[in-house]
Amino acid sequence: MASNGLKGSQFAEMILLGAHHLSNQAQMIDSLNVFPVPDGDTGTNMNLTMTSGAKEIENVSSDHVGNVANSFAKGLLMGARGNSGVILSQLFRGFSKQVQDLETIEVNDLAAALDAGVQTAYKAVMKPVEGTILTVAKDAAKAGEDAAKSTEDPIEFFEKVLEEAKQSLERTPDLLPVLKEVGVVDSGGQGLVTVYEGFLASLKGEELPKTSSASPSLDDLVNAEHHKMHQDFMETEDIEFGYCTEFMVKFEEDKLAENPFDEEQYREELSEHGDSLLVVADDEVVKVHIHAEYPGEVMTIGQRYGSLINMKIENMREQHTSIVGDKKKEEAPKKQERLAIGVVTVSMGDGIQSMFESLGATVVIEGGQTMNPSTQDIVKAIEQTNADEVLVLPNNKNIIMAAEQAQELVDNKVKVVPTKSVPQGMSAMLAYNPETDLNENHESMSEAMQYVKTGQVTYAVRDTQIDGRTIEEGNFMGISDGSIEAVNPDKMKAIEELLTAMIDDSEDEIVTILQGEEGSDEEVEQIEQFIEDKFDEIEVEVHQGNQPIYSYIFSVE
Amino acid sequence: MSVDFTNEYGQVTISNEVVSTIAGGAAIECYGIVGMASKKQFKDGLSEILGKDNFSKGVVVRQEEDQLSIDMYIIVSYGTKVSEVAHNVQNQVKYAIRKMVGLQVDSVNIYIHGVRVTS
Repeated sequence: MASNGLKGSQFAEMILLGAHHLSNQAQMIDSLNVFPVPDGDTGTNMNLTMTSGAKEIENVSSDHVGNVANSFAKGLLMGARGNSGVILSQLFRGFSKQVQDLETIEVNDLAAALDAGVQTAYKAVMKPVEGTILTVAKDAAKAGEDAAKSTEDPIEFFEKVLEEAKQSLERTPDLLPVLKEVGVVDSGGQGLVTVYEGFLASLKGEELPKTSSASPSLDDLVNAEHHKMHQDFMETEDIEFGYCTEFMVKFEEDKLAENPFDEEQYREELSEHGDSLLVVADDEVVKVHIHAEYPGEVMTIGQRYGSLINMKIENMREQHTSIVGDKKKEEAPKKQERLAIGVVTVSMGDGIQSMFESLGATVVIEGGQTMNPSTQDIVKAIEQTNADEVLVLPNNKNIIMAAEQAQELVDNKVKVVPTKSVPQGMSAMLAYNPETDLNENHESMSEAMQYVKTGQVTYAVRDTQIDGRTIEEGNFMGISDGSIEAVNPDKMKAIEELLTAMIDDSEDEIVTILQGEEGSDEEVEQIEQFIEDKFDEIEVEVHQGNQPIYSYIFSVE
Repeated sequence: MSVDFTNEYGQVTISNEVVSTIAGGAAIECYGIVGMASKKQFKDGLSEILGKDNFSKGVVVRQEEDQLSIDMYIIVSYGTKVSEVAHNVQNQVKYAIRKMVGLQVDSVNIYIHGVRVTS
């Protein structure tokens, strides 16, 4: 029984022609690129992505479609460039997953694979923007699904897919306002259509023309170029090439005999004279758009091949000045960058350190219970902030004194927020607002730190008597805001006693556990379970603090 | 702090909240991002994905002199090229802020807080 199934080698051919066709069109696709960022690189990015995918399958000798598709997807992922490239890699990631076990693919499989690609691609974005390559892929896959019901011929199938992809591309300006404004279709969508054109041509065994049948007109491309330029927010004096120059050269036989016309070479030569260059040639004329400083020179080059028609030259500096007005910004004198306000704090353990950094601390000093930073360390840190005003959070009652001494020794205006523990420091940091001044911050942070209760779990290193309690070496101690609440040879029991003493069911909402170097995941689970069982409505959060000495630090608020 | 500029009619002040909302809005439209994470890990939980209405929590706007830098905490989709997604976010955020408020962003720092696997 003859099968219409495509073999791995045929699929590889399709990919190679798709990639080849895309590379021919890359420049045109670049010119269309106005969304999301009009930087004119969509074609280049898609081409690099596709080339990387095509390279990967050149090493596949298998005729198994699944293997070819897998390698292709891998190559795309590794070489993905730009938004359009990442999306393309996702489309074929889903596609290849769908066909990974198939030796050959029938039309039904193709339809399912295109659909799987679209599903995968849509999953990787929070807010899909319609009117882009995503829409074109989705509509084309839908057409494929319908086509698969009526045909088993891959050529007919891809004709319908491509037809719908082109129509969907034409509709992109209706979905994405910026496209309508500029008068172009979406560049990523154009890229996908180009790839599909290559696929179909490969199946039909056709040669592809150098230009895509879905190519936009020169006027559209010129609009896109100007749109990109206006997005640059330049000062008038930043315009390097002052004249927008458009003309056509009508070819003349005798001149061509002397100077044969080569489009690529001509483009290369003109690119020396300006930017925003567009060159489109057929057998009779070549159309040129360029922003040049010396339009005359550009036109003279064109006259080698024929006569000039439809010339238009505009002075862009004049236009630009009238648009933006010629207000010169006052140059601020360049000083060394200084902050208005900064925060110095003390932490122990890299987990806690990075939490403080993420909360906005400018400099975090490594310190803590047994390796308290000296006054000198704090002075150095204050100077390191390079800020006019500095808040210092000691996070330990034994460091408050050193912080206050450091205050006297620096030129910066310094205030100490007297935090005695890491949780207090974090609460204070949550109230920190770099947009207000030292006094206001000091007030709000000092207030905020009072709303949190701190619990710490550690063990005794020798026998001792504290607060009338007898503590033996190796006992675990639960300390709540400086007073010992629990002493027990059993760690979990000490923790449970401590938490019971600390948590007030009617007031508190959340317990945050900072897991120390001597804590373990199993213990954390037990602690969570304990809190859950004993208290209603209390949320528990766990973070890796990696602090030494204290197996756990609890904050209750 | 906020961003101020003066024209012939008076002064315009743009609060940092506006800048961070625009940055967050641009980011969540970026392909490959499935969420924003909160910078306030302590209160909000580490890699909790923020709801759509408060994604600006995952954005920190810092100003030094005339320099504007933005930190973003994002969660990306499994199977994308993460480095490229980050690069695209930087590009898109920079552009959105320049376009909407005319500010030049000097640096956009991306913190990838998580990778989400979708079936």
